[in-house]
Amino acid sequence: MSEVDFTVEVCGMAGDGTIAAGGLINEAMSLGGFSVLGFDSYPAEIRGFGRCVTKSRIGSTDIVALGEQTHALISLNDEQSRSRAVFLDDHALVFFDSNPPSYVSEEKSLLSTLSNNVEVFGLPFGDLAVASGAARSKNLVALGGFAAVTGIDPSLFRQVILKKFKAKGDRIVDINIKSFDAGYDYALEKFHDRLKNWFAKSGTQYDSDKVMMSGNQAIGMAAIEAGLKLYFGYPITPATPIMEYLAKWLPEKGGRVVQMEDEISSIGAVLGSFYAGERAMTATSGPGFALMTELITHGVMAEIPAVIIDAQRAGPATGLPTKTEQSDLHAAVFGGPGDSARIVIAPTNVEECYYMVLKSFQLAEKYQTPVIVLTDFFLDNRVENLHTPRASDELRACWNVFPDESPGNRYLRYEDTSSGISPRAIPGMQGYNYTATGLEHTESGSPDYSSEIHTKMTEKRHRKIRNALEDLQQPTEFFSSDQLDVGVIGWGSTFGSVLEAVAKSKKNGFRVGALKITSIFPYHSDIIKAFMAKSGFVLIPELNYEGQLANLLERLNSKPVERLNLVTATPIPPSAIQKRIEELLEVGA
Amino acid sequence: MKTPAKILAAQVSRIEESGRFYPRSEALPTWCPGCGYFGIHQGIVDCISSLGLPLHEIVTVSGIGCAGRYPFFSKTYGLHTVHGRTLPAATGIKLAKPGLTVFAIGGDGDGLAIGGGHLPHIARRNIDVNYVLFDNSIYGLTKGQPSPTSPLGSKTKASPYGTVDQPLNATLMALTYGASFVARLFAGDPKGITDALIQGVQNPGFSVFHVYTSCVTFDKTFKTWTNLKKWVHPLPAGYDPTDIHVAFDQVLKDDFSMGIIYRRKN
Ligand SMILES: Cc1ncc(C[n+]2csc(CCOP(=O)(O)OP(=O)(O)O)c2C)c(N)n1
Ligand code: SF4
Repeated sequence: MSEVDFTVEVCGMAGDGTIAAGGLINEAMSLGGFSVLGFDSYPAEIRGFGRCVTKSRIGSTDIVALGEQTHALISLNDEQSRSRAVFLDDHALVFFDSNPPSYVSEEKSLLSTLSNNVEVFGLPFGDLAVASGAARSKNLVALGGFAAVTGIDPSLFRQVILKKFKAKGDRIVDINIKSFDAGYDYALEKFHDRLKNWFAKSGTQYDSDKVMMSGNQAIGMAAIEAGLKLYFGYPITPATPIMEYLAKWLPEKGGRVVQMEDEISSIGAVLGSFYAGERAMTATSGPGFALMTELITHGVMAEIPAVIIDAQRAGPATGLPTKTEQSDLHAAVFGGPGDSARIVIAPTNVEECYYMVLKSFQLAEKYQTPVIVLTDFFLDNRVENLHTPRASDELRACWNVFPDESPGNRYLRYEDTSSGISPRAIPGMQGYNYTATGLEHTESGSPDYSSEIHTKMTEKRHRKIRNALEDLQQPTEFFSSDQLDVGVIGWGSTFGSVLEAVAKSKKNGFRVGALKITSIFPYHSDIIKAFMAKSGFVLIPELNYEGQLANLLERLNSKPVERLNLVTATPIPPSAIQKRIEELLEVGA
Repeated sequence: MKTPAKILAAQVSRIEESGRFYPRSEALPTWCPGCGYFGIHQGIVDCISSLGLPLHEIVTVSGIGCAGRYPFFSKTYGLHTVHGRTLPAATGIKLAKPGLTVFAIGGDGDGLAIGGGHLPHIARRNIDVNYVLFDNSIYGLTKGQPSPTSPLGSKTKASPYGTVDQPLNATLMALTYGASFVARLFAGDPKGITDALIQGVQNPGFSVFHVYTSCVTFDKTFKTWTNLKKWVHPLPAGYDPTDIHVAFDQVLKDDFSMGIIYRRKN
């Protein structure tokens, strides 16, 4: 079986069906048994409105990062597609409309920007679409051409087209399949001497358990599986799809989505719901998270659970709303007044979005504290095909620590136990009435400002969070070895690029390893320290300016941690990390 | 001399003698002697007693301020949140456990300044929360700065030349935002508070109890007991609280008529 690692882009104007075409490629290739990672990237140099670009990386082995070079470009609008030419692989294939309905001057045409080695395939997208029943289906014609040349089994596309358009009726399904077939047949005939048949030869097995989903979808699904009762939120990119997903599916499970007036009320209501004993959640991005911080510390102080998704975007303030970055780590770990230790976790791929959100409810309940799940634009919006995630009973189980059945003499809500966890009564339980407060308080919950109480209770709250390590995922090592020339630590959506870069460096003969950290706070310092100790250089690549994880962990290493900080607001290319690893070794040698 | 402890002890024995059960906590209110809040407290306590609500099925939610301390003085479940966030927390509690009776308690600063953005929204969602707004027209806990309801020209340490901002009218706001039950009450009339609360708690939507009260420590000139007692009076005879037009009319022409201003017909 030959190895497939193929990146295809579709580019067009809004209305060309670009996103739909990209989605069909993802679905068809997933159905074909390939590993798929797709992301709709909007180039920074957008001028004018409505350019859409979808990118799909397709592999016969696991795909963990976005591709850097495009092997095929499907151009639904040549003027827009010109900007994609620089990303093309030397021998890329370009599919374009050979009879565009609108005139494009020579110097504006896509073809004029392409280098000599690129192979072009012109099909009359529009004409074939019209002949098949609707001009709008030219994106399907293009897919047909693409499938024929690269050797993708056409029945895969026919199946996903049927699935996608079924609801719109037989006529629409028919037009779309006809259009696809028209493009397919045209290409077979016209380009018979230039067919690549790459995919035909790969022979990958179809895996019926695989599903395609985005990070945000995985978060929404997990929350529902967790038995979410209430979602409170305020729209903000890139967290909004979580609210929209839940608005559609939560009512079916008896839950409710309330669009609140702002982020402050959203977290306030989440705390209210958890205080009353029901699972609730909110999701936001940096600016909204900043507004929530006071109430998050209220959750810390009053020991009330909460689950908060911070879908990071780039920059301070409104920043770059549709761009990706990992720059809220400090806000998540330290944001807000006082010594307010809370739990912060960060999934690195779509599957982890699911399992970690599920787990976050249990962590919040058991440790009676807000749990912040850090994702980012890239992780939220990319799609991956993964094994259908399933919530075990164990992962769904309630972890509330209730007091004994029989109310004792006097219930101490904030009892100073050795674990730091105090049994939490909820309204409706007779005999345990207490007042939760954000003021410093005694074990019984009465406000108290004495030095002794503040010292003792601060210590208790921190002990509790430290103890949460026992339930927090340990760092995972990849390409483990006793001694490493470079050990790379990665977190969040960047970890996929770390893994790929380390794999490639290793192939080049370097002694490198990777450590994945998903428990951001508290973190497993012993394991991290041991990994650092055996690494000649420790490198932490991050999509932020200062190296926020590096700042947090540097004290564990005997010498300064090496950093790779990009603020391009786009996913880190694996090659940038690989280059840095190999540079370090050259300098070090 | 009447110390707060003595006043409280007298109230305690009076309520105990009445044979009603007793929703006060052992923690004595920390309010200044003579503060209007004692009267409101008594009004709430009597309402809970009369309705015979089980204490473990009541949650008292508050923000920050002298008024915000209220949950500590009640034997119900309590949630003392941060400044201004009383109503969102109350929303979360009520939606999570609709069977609970929820009292939201807060001062005029807490509810109309920092938390002012939440009032319209809980009203339009008509969440079944009973919001008792302790309106002393001053910031008590931070020691006497002007509040959004301070009358024009109020002189405080933070407004030595007198305030220049128009005061807000919480009763009018509650009506405008569409609260389904609106009462205007006086801390010097605990019985009136109790009666209104009993009706309001039974209203299956958002109820606002706007209570005029006196801060004896920081307001020596405006909302003093002497002035308030002079100004307040009952709603006109034959007043129909189910007619929203009548309600607006009344509130626009008279700031001091007390009672149930509006009750939505169900
Ligand atoms: C975010 C925030 N800002 C400011 C404060 C300080 N603060 C505490 S109470 C208060 C005003 C209270 O006034 P009011 O709500 O009218 O209640 P009262 O004390 O008069 O009962 C202020 C500004 C705070 N606790 N939190
Ligand atoms: S400062 Fe004013 S409002 Fe606060 S307790 Fe004293 S009298 Fe009451």
